[in-house]
Amino acid sequence: MSRIHVPAWLALLLRNPKSRIGLVILAFIVVIALLAPLITVAHPNDFNILATRQSPSWHHLFGTTDQGSDIFSQVVVGARRSLLLGAAAAALATGIAAILGVTAGYMGGLVDDVVNFVTNVFLTIPAIPLLVVVAGFIKNRGMGTMVLVLALVLWAFEARVLRSQALTLKNQDFVLAAKAAGEPTRRIVFGELMPNMISRVAAGFVLVFYIALLTDAGLEFLGLGDMSKTSWGVTLYWAQTNSTVLQGEWWPFFFPGAALALTVLSLVLLLAGIDEVSNPRLRAESTERRRVFGRLFGGRLVARAEGSA
Amino acid sequence: MTAVVPERMVNPARETKTLLELRSLEVDYGHVRAVDGIDLSIAEGEIVGLAGESGCGKSTVAAAAMQVLRPPGRIAGGGVYFQGENLVGRDSESLRRFRWRNVSMVFQSAMNALNPVMRVGDQFVDAMRAHERIDRKRALTRAGELLDLVGIDPRRVRAYPHELSGGMRQRVIIAIALALNPELIIMDEPTTALDVVVQREILQQIEALKRDFGFAVLFITHDLSLLLEFADRIAIMYAGEIVESAPAARLVENPQHPYTQGLLRSFPPLRGPLERLTGIPGSPPDLAEPPSGCRFHPRCPHCSIDNPALYARQTSEQPTLRLVEPNHLVACHLVEDAAL
Amino acid sequence: MRWFARRLAFYLFAIWVALTVNFLLPRLMPGDPVAGLLQHLSPAQLSSNPGLIETYRALLGGGNHSIWSDYVTYLHRIMHFNFGLSTSNYPTPVSEVVGRTLPYSIFLVGVAFLLAFVIGTLVGMVAGWRRGGLVDNVFVPVFMTIGAFPAFFTALLGLWILGLKLNWFPIQHAYGNDVTPGFNWAFLSSVGRHSELPILVIVAAFAGGWVLNMRAVMINTIGEDYVTMARAKGLRDRRVMTWYAGRNAILPPLNGFAAQFATAVGGLVFIEFIFSYPGAGYTLQNAILGNDYPLAQAILVTLSVCVIFANLIMDIFNLILDPRLRTA
Repeated sequence: MSRIHVPAWLALLLRNPKSRIGLVILAFIVVIALLAPLITVAHPNDFNILATRQSPSWHHLFGTTDQGSDIFSQVVVGARRSLLLGAAAAALATGIAAILGVTAGYMGGLVDDVVNFVTNVFLTIPAIPLLVVVAGFIKNRGMGTMVLVLALVLWAFEARVLRSQALTLKNQDFVLAAKAAGEPTRRIVFGELMPNMISRVAAGFVLVFYIALLTDAGLEFLGLGDMSKTSWGVTLYWAQTNSTVLQGEWWPFFFPGAALALTVLSLVLLLAGIDEVSNPRLRAESTERRRVFGRLFGGRLVARAEGSA
Repeated sequence: MTAVVPERMVNPARETKTLLELRSLEVDYGHVRAVDGIDLSIAEGEIVGLAGESGCGKSTVAAAAMQVLRPPGRIAGGGVYFQGENLVGRDSESLRRFRWRNVSMVFQSAMNALNPVMRVGDQFVDAMRAHERIDRKRALTRAGELLDLVGIDPRRVRAYPHELSGGMRQRVIIAIALALNPELIIMDEPTTALDVVVQREILQQIEALKRDFGFAVLFITHDLSLLLEFADRIAIMYAGEIVESAPAARLVENPQHPYTQGLLRSFPPLRGPLERLTGIPGSPPDLAEPPSGCRFHPRCPHCSIDNPALYARQTSEQPTLRLVEPNHLVACHLVEDAAL
Repeated sequence: MRWFARRLAFYLFAIWVALTVNFLLPRLMPGDPVAGLLQHLSPAQLSSNPGLIETYRALLGGGNHSIWSDYVTYLHRIMHFNFGLSTSNYPTPVSEVVGRTLPYSIFLVGVAFLLAFVIGTLVGMVAGWRRGGLVDNVFVPVFMTIGAFPAFFTALLGLWILGLKLNWFPIQHAYGNDVTPGFNWAFLSSVGRHSELPILVIVAAFAGGWVLNMRAVMINTIGEDYVTMARAKGLRDRRVMTWYAGRNAILPPLNGFAAQFATAVGGLVFIEFIFSYPGAGYTLQNAILGNDYPLAQAILVTLSVCVIFANLIMDIFNLILDPRLRTA
């Protein structure tokens, strides 16, 4: 059987246990979301007065809401919108952060001061209250608008991190060489600096992804998203507003919440894995810990851990 | 001089006893053996130099001697004997009491060795109060006296490390090392981070202090030229092993090991006939996979296939330290052969 | 000291920017801001609040004044803490509503996030110092796992398990219905009691981040020469851990803490919502849902200023703890 060609970065991430688990969980969730129309029996918004407030059963895997809607389909279909929104906002935010941060860090001077100032302002004004107010003003909360709004508020943090990375890189020889060779700034930023920061940018993307997920779900939870669409935050909103928790019905909030938490967890693990892969010192200690645990659980584990170290 | 000067002075007539002895010391960092079975002894009042290239394991020796190895470093074998008692495997409390009081250490970079958020005086007080009952005020006064001893205004006890110059910081480190009047001070590249002029001053300071206090010194450096003037005995370290050790004067006059000869040829004398500078070709080996047999053989000018019998031994057998003349040890197959 | 002066200047500037953004926000939205907002009010609301349109006009523009004179009037009013009248609590002035609700939020955020930071860094310090020890192998994963869940999920879980099922804590509002606000013991103790669950939830959810952060910095700090020298001096283990390693390791997380204020305020909105805790966050959300823009915007400005102020305090703290900054 011929070997499947796996790109180097993927192989690295798969080898690290943390990112491996994270990727697996994430892949699982994405697949479920993609297969949504095939695996749900009911439309998420179907009302069924006869089946309201039912706890999980074979017929309704995750139970029903107070209007009789099937929570399982809500969670599965909702995954699509939640994931898509989060990913798009993260992509946009990371893009802005990368361009602004790296350019500012490399160019220094006035450009740096201006970008720095703008970044700091965005970091000081608290994001959630700002989003609450902005979302309150705009009544059309379609996908595109929300992606834009989220990205505009979330780029600042990553920008600062990438700027400081660019600052360390810009005095390295390969950059100075490019500068001496007369390469224009744009080429240096995109051609020399950014490729060397891939791991940081990727890590930043994952970070903003789960923050965007949480923020978007949070806004919907507060009632400030597009309430007509299906997503995790919206399901949670209805769960809260209908006081289901206070009435002891745990399933309307548990399942969408767990789905969200699981996705966030997978991203956090992925992030930790990326960190370990890029920072050898953190890696050394995790192999050490595995060896200790291995000794606790038997010699065979030790051999396996050392073999894969 | 102030009351800090002790009554005990070095009395050359008294028989000198061994202070520190490393016997077959082996130190590992994870899977890499950084120090592979070395023997070294330091007698009272003696200045012993340990020289070698970067990465040969000399700083590891220092840390091992004081039992302050950082994980993943650990002592894998052999012993560290202070006044006859093995420190390896001792419980942490007795080790704690031994540290600084009997053996103290001067670090390479004073900026890194001083706690940046603590005043300089407090870093003295810390050391003192860890070992004796003394109130803060008196400890600070003592600290001031010690600073005075190394040529720093005693009022600087209130300063933070970053407020002092590089040379001053190094003196502070030396003063702290003296705080408890130890019998041995291990100096790990104490002057490497300084410019030449300050280097001289510091060395002179150390010499003067040694005359007054009578401590022994283990002086670790990559700069052999420093040791030739300063040390009583010199040990040359290569790839985790000691390859030659001799009194300083003998080492200059009669270097036996090819590595030592190469080192001595690497720095030209200020006066004398014009000599061609020859370095040592190649670079130090990776300690994770050291060369077989004599570790120096890939770079040794005397190791060639032209002499098959010798070559076979050089590439398969590790040479052991042998006495070639009183107090002069060498680990080299070539020297062994010549002696036979 | 120059560093501090620059920060101060930045903060003042940032406050001005916050105020200006706040002023521009409604005017940046497409269309006539007042008309757009009026669309979403019911006729009943309009008729019962006759001065409503005027209030909106004054605050949001759309009248026949130039934007510049509106701006000047706006700034002038802000200086006197006049944010207009709250439409959902008509005719109470906005500043009064904010003044009533803000203290609860500050109390919650102040105590809870501070506690999360302190507990988190202490656990992180010990975990980093004794790697593979009890704290490192037990507490760290526990905090990490709980911290990995979104804060509001943990809050809901905590509410459900500890409040509802086990009935250990009161689950709603800032104080019981039987006490009256004022500086009396019954009230204050009720406030304390009602804040226990939110504080517990916040600490559980956020301490994890600090644990990991401090632990990582600690591990790096342990490699520093001054820690080795401290051990070589024969100092006691605990002293080296706290005064040499810990004292230095805490500086980056401290800065991180300052950077987290904005996030903390965000999290506050959710926590208050879940516990129906009448703080600024809860009020903000209700104001937005009820289209009470003067109130909502005022809270946004106030929260921004609070964050800026907290950052300032953190800078002062930094100055005290890191002597190197005093000469910078």
